[in-house]
Amino acid sequence: MIDTYTRLLEAAAETGSAEVAQVAVTKLMMHLQSSGRVNMLPQIVRELRKVAAYRHTLRPRVEVASQKEAPEALSAAAEFGIHAPEATINPSLIRGWRAQENGRLIDHSAKHALAHIYQKVTV
Amino acid sequence: MQSIIERIEKEINAWVPEKGTEEVGTVRSTGDGIAEISGLSKVAMSEMVLFDPTFDRPLAEALKDPSPIYGLILNLEEDGVRAVILGEASKIYEGMLVRRLGRLLSIPIGDSLIGRVINPLGEPVDGKGVTGAKEIRSIEREAYGVIDRAPVQVPLHTGIKAVDAMIPIGRGQRELIIGDRGTGKTSIAIDTILNQKNEPEATRPICIYVAIGQKESKTAKIVAEFSARGAMEYTIVVTAPASAPAAIQFLAPFAGATIGEYFMEQGKDALVVYDDLSKQAVAYRQMSLLLRRPPGREAYPGDIFYLHSRLLERAAKLSKEKGGGSLTALPIIETQEGDVSAYIPTNVISITDGQIYLETDLFNKGQRPAINVGISVSRVGSAAQTKAMKKVSGKIKLELAQFRELEAFMQFSSDLDAATKKSIDSGRRMTEILNQDRGVPLPFEMEAAIIFAATNGYLDRVAAEDIRAVETKLQEYLSREAGGILVAIRESKEIREETEKALREKLEAFVERQLKTT
Repeated sequence: MIDTYTRLLEAAAETGSAEVAQVAVTKLMMHLQSSGRVNMLPQIVRELRKVAAYRHTLRPRVEVASQKEAPEALSAAAEFGIHAPEATINPSLIRGWRAQENGRLIDHSAKHALAHIYQKVTV
Repeated sequence: MQSIIERIEKEINAWVPEKGTEEVGTVRSTGDGIAEISGLSKVAMSEMVLFDPTFDRPLAEALKDPSPIYGLILNLEEDGVRAVILGEASKIYEGMLVRRLGRLLSIPIGDSLIGRVINPLGEPVDGKGVTGAKEIRSIEREAYGVIDRAPVQVPLHTGIKAVDAMIPIGRGQRELIIGDRGTGKTSIAIDTILNQKNEPEATRPICIYVAIGQKESKTAKIVAEFSARGAMEYTIVVTAPASAPAAIQFLAPFAGATIGEYFMEQGKDALVVYDDLSKQAVAYRQMSLLLRRPPGREAYPGDIFYLHSRLLERAAKLSKEKGGGSLTALPIIETQEGDVSAYIPTNVISITDGQIYLETDLFNKGQRPAINVGISVSRVGSAAQTKAMKKVSGKIKLELAQFRELEAFMQFSSDLDAATKKSIDSGRRMTEILNQDRGVPLPFEMEAAIIFAATNGYLDRVAAEDIRAVETKLQEYLSREAGGILVAIRESKEIREETEKALREKLEAFVERQLKTT
């Protein structure tokens, strides 16, 4: 049941309309009250948080090793269809950049390359 | 040092960033060797994935333990996938990046694997460095169809008189070895591998011994024995010890079959021993329950029969057009309290082309190998026997079965007529003749000569309790004084009239000499 309610709210949120979302929440509350299931609310909220966290991981993002690489990385990622609003700095990349969106990854970082070479050389 | 630097520089210069995008997922949760992964919506069933520890850690930290951890996708679900972890599950953490490898579970194979001990992923575990195997093959594949196969007709000698005479195994056959623990199942398989040393190099099968869920000490002992007896020259050992994850134990037989197929497709003969499939079934049950697949009989999943049938179907004798190679399978199943009607034993019995059934009672009585002739069978039968063996073994099986009946009857009656007494004596002698110590497989020509002596009355004057000692003397005598006859049998694979005449003369001389000494 929790899954079903969560999906309903998710679908309402996906419409992008605050009004639709508000109606969905109100109607769900009424339904839960009438069926005596109000105690499910914390679990539904927990599920929604999980969904939101997962969606957050799917958002377009570009990481660069240093700020000066950001413009080039953003435009290169855009060529692959990953349009991130800004690049975050991740010094562990050593050099280069990587971009991720919705389960797709482009890894042009020196860290990835070095790890790859290390494995090839040491095996 | 310079060469290392050069190699690294070469690798750095050769590196180009991967073009395009790759599909990745993240570990949502992990436990009991199973990882739930979000994403990877396009991943295929049985595809390999790589858990990447370098993605979200600084390089120096990640490279402290750079060994890759692979996963095998076994459940495709609405909101993600589940994979079994083929390595140390404790290194997998929530949020870890998972990369698709775009290939089904594969292992490197090649001639260089001969003489090596590897794990089911093809990685060496014998401390002798890389295997050098280059060709990558998927471990799951469809078995050859009817058109590609030829009838099983060439014998695979085990060197065990009882098996070669009564339950002959052919190249390309699947013969189950079944029995309780400690009844000598592994010994039969080991002796069969050791006996291939007696085969001419050109037709000697490449042997693959797959140890599933065994104690590492036991596998080490077997490898040491193979090495000491020179059997590692044509043997590959695949080991998935009891301490390995269930997924590795489940994969081990498939890895063995893949290696065997490689040699079969080159037109060679290969022999693969699965020791044992009951442990593989238990490992698969564990994995299936953790993957939340519905349990069936004895809590095994519904596809447990398919697990074994698709594995054993890969044993084949290929047609001439396909190179004429063969893959013989000797699966082993351990029964509980002699119960052959349990789920896994009945499944595997129905899949294989016969079974060698070993009994605890016979083992305790001192019979080696403790084969119950009555319910052991080879469905390929005499088609996979040399003419020589066919000629000498003739009715042994029937006579032994009759002897067992009479032996049971004898316990209630002490007054026996002469014919019955003679039959019992003959049965006892034959049982003793078929007794054979572990680790001493005989060349087939020697087996044929000894059985010939026993079935033609040359040992009738020897008391049953003295048979073993006399047989040893006979073997020495034949090797010393009848070498030409043995060579003739080995080369022609039959006992021709002139060979038979010469053999009879030698046996008569032996009997005479034997009578003089006693």
